Amino acid sequence: MKFANTRQAMAWLHTWLGLIFGFVLMICFFFGALSVFDREIDRWAIPDTRFDPQPMPSFDTMLLDVFERTEPDVAEYNRLMPIYHDPDAGDMTPRTELPADEYWAYTTHRDPVLLMGIGFRVPTPLNTEEHNHIHGRVTIDPRSGEELPSNSLKIGSDWFYPLHYSLNLNWNFIGFYIVGIAAFFMLVALVSGVWIHRKIFREFFTFRREKKTQRATLDLHNMSGVVALPFHFFFALTGLIIFAAFYYLPVTNTMLKPLHNMHETIEADTTGLPHDRSGIAASMASVDDMVSEAKRRWAARDMAGEVGFLMVHHVGDANSYVSIYRAGSDRVSLVGEGIHFKASNGEVLREDPPHSTAESIAEFLTGLHLQHFEHWFLRWLYVLGGLLGCVCIATGFIFFTEKRKQQHAKNNSQGSRIVDAFAITTVTGIVIAAVTMLLANRLLPADMLNKGDWEKWIFCIALAFSFLHATLRSEPVARGEKNPAWREQCLLIAGLSITAVTANWLTTGDHLIKTIFTNPYWAVAGVDLSLLAVAATSWKAASHLQPETNKKEDSSSKAAYE
Amino acid sequence: MNNNTLWLILAIILMFIAMSWLALSLPSHWKQVRSGKPASTRLRMIGWSAIFLSALCCFKADHASMAVLVWLMIGAAAAASIGMILSACPHRLKWLSLGSFAEGSKR
Repeated sequence: MKFANTRQAMAWLHTWLGLIFGFVLMICFFFGALSVFDREIDRWAIPDTRFDPQPMPSFDTMLLDVFERTEPDVAEYNRLMPIYHDPDAGDMTPRTELPADEYWAYTTHRDPVLLMGIGFRVPTPLNTEEHNHIHGRVTIDPRSGEELPSNSLKIGSDWFYPLHYSLNLNWNFIGFYIVGIAAFFMLVALVSGVWIHRKIFREFFTFRREKKTQRATLDLHNMSGVVALPFHFFFALTGLIIFAAFYYLPVTNTMLKPLHNMHETIEADTTGLPHDRSGIAASMASVDDMVSEAKRRWAARDMAGEVGFLMVHHVGDANSYVSIYRAGSDRVSLVGEGIHFKASNGEVLREDPPHSTAESIAEFLTGLHLQHFEHWFLRWLYVLGGLLGCVCIATGFIFFTEKRKQQHAKNNSQGSRIVDAFAITTVTGIVIAAVTMLLANRLLPADMLNKGDWEKWIFCIALAFSFLHATLRSEPVARGEKNPAWREQCLLIAGLSITAVTANWLTTGDHLIKTIFTNPYWAVAGVDLSLLAVAATSWKAASHLQPETNKKEDSSSKAAYE
Repeated sequence: MNNNTLWLILAIILMFIAMSWLALSLPSHWKQVRSGKPASTRLRMIGWSAIFLSALCCFKADHASMAVLVWLMIGAAAAASIGMILSACPHRLKWLSLGSFAEGSKR
């Protein structure tokens, strides 16, 4: 390929990389924007958990009991036990008899429920160098210690959230790699986009909606890209940084594994926190006392706070220690100021020292993406940033087809037709899938076997339906006209969203008057209001997409509003 | 409402006014609001000053690391909103295009 100048080469790069990776990035940005409120979506989807956030409950009187009665996950046991177990050592230890090696509990200022996990030890491991953990996970109501039913899916934090960084394609981590590559090319698209955009400052505020679709779309593409440029850049970048060790330098788990293991051991020596079990049984002192001591030490450093993460290592052994980390709700950086106690007598083994500048920068960058802080206004601004990203990508798709479809119609090419169908799937389709999933969550019976799995399937089917519908209706694009699926799917979104709000009211009794005025519960009210905003926006978009008017309004992509 | 919320509201208002002035400093947008030409330099200077003041308000409201993020994001929100206002109903910005911001007016 030959280009007359750099700008042309950049334009080529921007067009084609943007097109190919745009479909993936649309999912990252939209579900990333929803992940800002993942816990709130969880509350909407699991009505039993609609109560106020709770602090970490007592370890001694509640958590220990839950840890002791929780069993290893069946699927994980079946998958990993044959790999970890040494066949020469006799039969495999039955699942329910595996001894616990580590306990952890995790909460944030937005969590009414408490997530707890256990790492079980394989007593007869094949490779003694490794951790050989088989896990169990449980979510409890911290007021009573009761478990949440295992059939309920946390739609926000266990489906939308992982969707935005793994596409929920877990086979060989393929989804993580696809997103990683897409995020990298997002950075390339931003740089090349700025390069080819001649009038960055002169057209900073320019959106000429009265011009023809192609020009108006390009205006909106430039504006949504440029005004939120720092957001787009830093979220793609920090997303890559969070997974950097996984994407670029997986050597510590492959080629440098022995070195990595040695580093762990040496680190344990310098910190005084035992790397291995001693083999001598020991009992555990009161963890609640350690928690009070940790809180006292944080307060003495003028940073009083609640416990966010608590972990017991080498459970039941003389080398056991308890690590207590502070919840990071008052700052951006994810630090934790960990304090570590000897489990048998509660003596302080170590306080994490202040971090170096490089570490602090990394903590700030990952913290700004993972947002553990308590700042509702900034959360909403992040949603806005994510949606501006969606608008930018969606207008990119529309500009691509608008620019080419007349030419393609003349040459009898199907190019724009295919791109347009994919664009519909990733603009209106993902909204349909998300809202359908929420609606299904309210309509399927609460005690249904594997309810969560059904919800996941319904999400995928809705997305497939959107693609099929967009493809079947795409014939006009080949004639240089508009695909009626845009309008039809906008109308569908409006209908589904209103039905979802109504279904929430009918199945739980939580209508908006109650959740806003009489008995305020903003998590549910927020999701309901957002659904109504989606309905209104997509309705308006549909009315702009009337067949007789030729002006195409891009607000369909803004319908990607939650 | 506590003090932090008030500082944030002030930061938002300043950022909106700042972005309006920066937009009006561009002749094409000034023309949407008023006839003649804008005193571009003057508008830009006062626009950037308002952005700076908005940053100060953000730092009054929050921990520095958080304030930077809030400031950048309200910048994005304000710029996008002003773009939309200029596109749909530019006359709404008329009150910000004071006579002394027109070209040739006395300081």
